[in-house]
Amino acid sequence: MAVMRMGYAHVRVTDMAEAKSHYANTLGLYETLTQDGKVYYKGWDEWDHHSVVLEEGGVGLVKFGWKVEKSEDIDDIERNAQAAGATVQRMSKGENPEIGDGIRFETPSGHLFEVYHEATLIGTEVGTHNPEAFPRHLVGVGVPALDHALILAEDVRGMERFLTQVFDFYPTERVQTDLDDNDAHFIATWMTANNQIHQLAVLEGPPGDSQGKLHHFAFKLGDWTEVGRAGDLFAMDDVPIDIGPTRHGITRGQTIYFFDPSGNRNEVYAGGYPAYRDRPLVKWTPDQIAKGIFYHARELNERFTTVYT
Amino acid sequence: MPTVTIDPTGERVHLDPGETILAGLYKAGYAFTVGCRRGGCAICKVDAVAGTFTYNRPVADNVITDEERADHTCLTCRAVPEGDVTIRLRGETLRLVNPFLAQLNARARQRAEAYAASRAAASPDATPPPAADTTPAERTTKE
Ligand code: FES
Ligand SMILES: [Fe+2]
Repeated sequence: MAVMRMGYAHVRVTDMAEAKSHYANTLGLYETLTQDGKVYYKGWDEWDHHSVVLEEGGVGLVKFGWKVEKSEDIDDIERNAQAAGATVQRMSKGENPEIGDGIRFETPSGHLFEVYHEATLIGTEVGTHNPEAFPRHLVGVGVPALDHALILAEDVRGMERFLTQVFDFYPTERVQTDLDDNDAHFIATWMTANNQIHQLAVLEGPPGDSQGKLHHFAFKLGDWTEVGRAGDLFAMDDVPIDIGPTRHGITRGQTIYFFDPSGNRNEVYAGGYPAYRDRPLVKWTPDQIAKGIFYHARELNERFTTVYT
Repeated sequence: MPTVTIDPTGERVHLDPGETILAGLYKAGYAFTVGCRRGGCAICKVDAVAGTFTYNRPVADNVITDEERADHTCLTCRAVPEGDVTIRLRGETLRLVNPFLAQLNARARQRAEAYAASRAAASPDATPPPAADTTPAERTTKE
């Protein structure tokens, strides 16, 4: 069983015209389809049909799509999810444009996940035959690809168990109240299925208001210089910056958190060290959580734990 | 030129036409708990105890419920006052983080108030101001 990556993030936006300007002109995603009030995008270095879906009306997360390596993986994950107590539905090819058959279930944290193996291949913007290093006429930040997301859950330990059981994810870093896992309360966990430092992170949210909530979804960048340049473009386009450019102590990534025109939090993220299943888990204690999240300021702004959609 | 008054502490902040309450307060050197500044996270809600406002963008139903549209709830990052308003913060007090900006705003407000008063006194019919000179209101917006 192998989840390869977060294939798509599907979010709601209050105003489609402004959202399109943000995701296409500021972030530089490529629009691949407009259909039934939804707009589909991919980054220049992504080959599948889309990685971001915008839907007009409201704000926050609709669902995530996870692409698996083999079609049998879908059956394995279906069994795992059922064993973990989730109700699994089959979804058929075309329910999501250009996405194949798969399954759909809700996590204990109230997030809708879809798992699929096939997506229409469009190809990266540089192609596969003697490719150039990057497309010459990138727009705005020119993000190459979707990277990861952070979601809220009331029970982080339970979600970590669920993602381990269903997706074979493993944690790379964690914030916990005690270094001894048995005594600890888990406050946040960073998880992956491969060498990417995190594909999905889970943060403890307030009881009664965490179900299905999105903290942010992130786009990949190359390095500090690109993160800094993104910040300059956000200033030019009046994008509200939440924090950054700064570094996360956790994952060592370089980052800016910012908001889209509907208030969904986005991130541009560079770096992060390679993850391995046998690498000892990194643990952060709550007294150092501020440094873990914002390595330079070493202070947690009031928005990190209270602002989400 | 709406004025936002904070209840019960009494701070008064002058807003430019079309400006949201949140943007105006921050521009005037004040701070309170805000998040996305784009109408998505619901954290910037206050109670509008007097005056009316409109939202400058559609606001999602899970951010402002139907009930909240009918009571005094005001999502400050999207709310543009239609005239003077009085707001009450929820569970916190307004913080003055930049007295210099507050001073600039206070001066702009005083000029606007003086101009409005002089116009009212000069003519009950409210004749238009002399075209030749820059009006105080215009000077205000240039600062
Ligand atoms: S600051 Fe997020 S809704 Fe106003
Ligand atoms: Fe992130």
